[in-house]
Amino acid sequence: MDPDGALVEAAASGSREAFDELVRRHQTAIVSLVRVLTAGHGDPDDLAQEVFVRAWRSLRTFRGDSAFRTWLHRVAINVVRTSQTRRMRLLRVFVPFGGMGEQDAPPPEAPDVDERVDDALARRQIVERALATLPEDLRLAVTLRDLQGLDYKEIAVALGVPIGTVESRIFRARQRLRPLLAPLMGREKARQQ
Amino acid sequence: MNANEREGDQDPVAALLRATPPVTVPTDFLTRVNARIDDTAGWLGLADFRAWTLGLVPAAAALVLVAILWPAAPAATAAPASAPPTQTQVVSSQTFTPSSYSDWDQDVTANALLEAALRAPASERR
Repeated sequence: MDPDGALVEAAASGSREAFDELVRRHQTAIVSLVRVLTAGHGDPDDLAQEVFVRAWRSLRTFRGDSAFRTWLHRVAINVVRTSQTRRMRLLRVFVPFGGMGEQDAPPPEAPDVDERVDDALARRQIVERALATLPEDLRLAVTLRDLQGLDYKEIAVALGVPIGTVESRIFRARQRLRPLLAPLMGREKARQQ
Repeated sequence: MNANEREGDQDPVAALLRATPPVTVPTDFLTRVNARIDDTAGWLGLADFRAWTLGLVPAAAALVLVAILWPAAPAATAAPASAPPTQTQVVSSQTFTPSSYSDWDQDVTANALLEAALRAPASERR
């Protein structure tokens, strides 16, 4: 049973109040997802807004095959991918020779754990920077699972891949993240004792 | 045991990621979303090619149907209407004689042309 079912139905019939409530419920998750997916490129708030605008426009085509949350995540992934494709195209046109395009850009820096890790914002930045070092498919899978809390089936639907692929991507992503986040995990453990 | 249980919820990386503080959403986020929705529904919406293409799908489908069905409908009623010209052509075939070069520029039927060629003197045949 989709917890958003009644609101989605009302919003699809044109109720802006119902849609506002859906935005309130999911805005944190979507902003968070878009921030990780853009990995510092582009304006995540702007893209997150675009996700909800796109969702409002397409709400009538939502057939309820999956939960609204899963569908919304898929919309977000598509919006970010479209934006990245457009961005890459622009870079290719305007930086054809010698310039530093996305391909030539240095890989994102590994997190510096000497930062003030007690600060929630700093901790979040460290995690985001660690995630940014991953390839997109791994980053997306582990973000949907561990940051967004989607289950494997929902992730498989959102990404359009089999569950086995989702499992494998999440496993590899965590393996790669382990050394990057180990100092942070050590501090967490020490703080808890 | 399903996939979610298999993953090992005790994984410290997973636990750390789950404990990541949530992002702070700008306070005017909802207002901005609503403003953008209103914009797209207004004049700016006219520039949205997706809305146009989707909105015009029924009209396009209707045009395709008309294009498919149109030749069939007149063809059924066209037979009586085309009879008089056929008769005219028959009449003209009886009166056609290629006395001058300009006669060959007239619209003639294949039968009339063949008949005229056969009637011509042997010296003119090639």
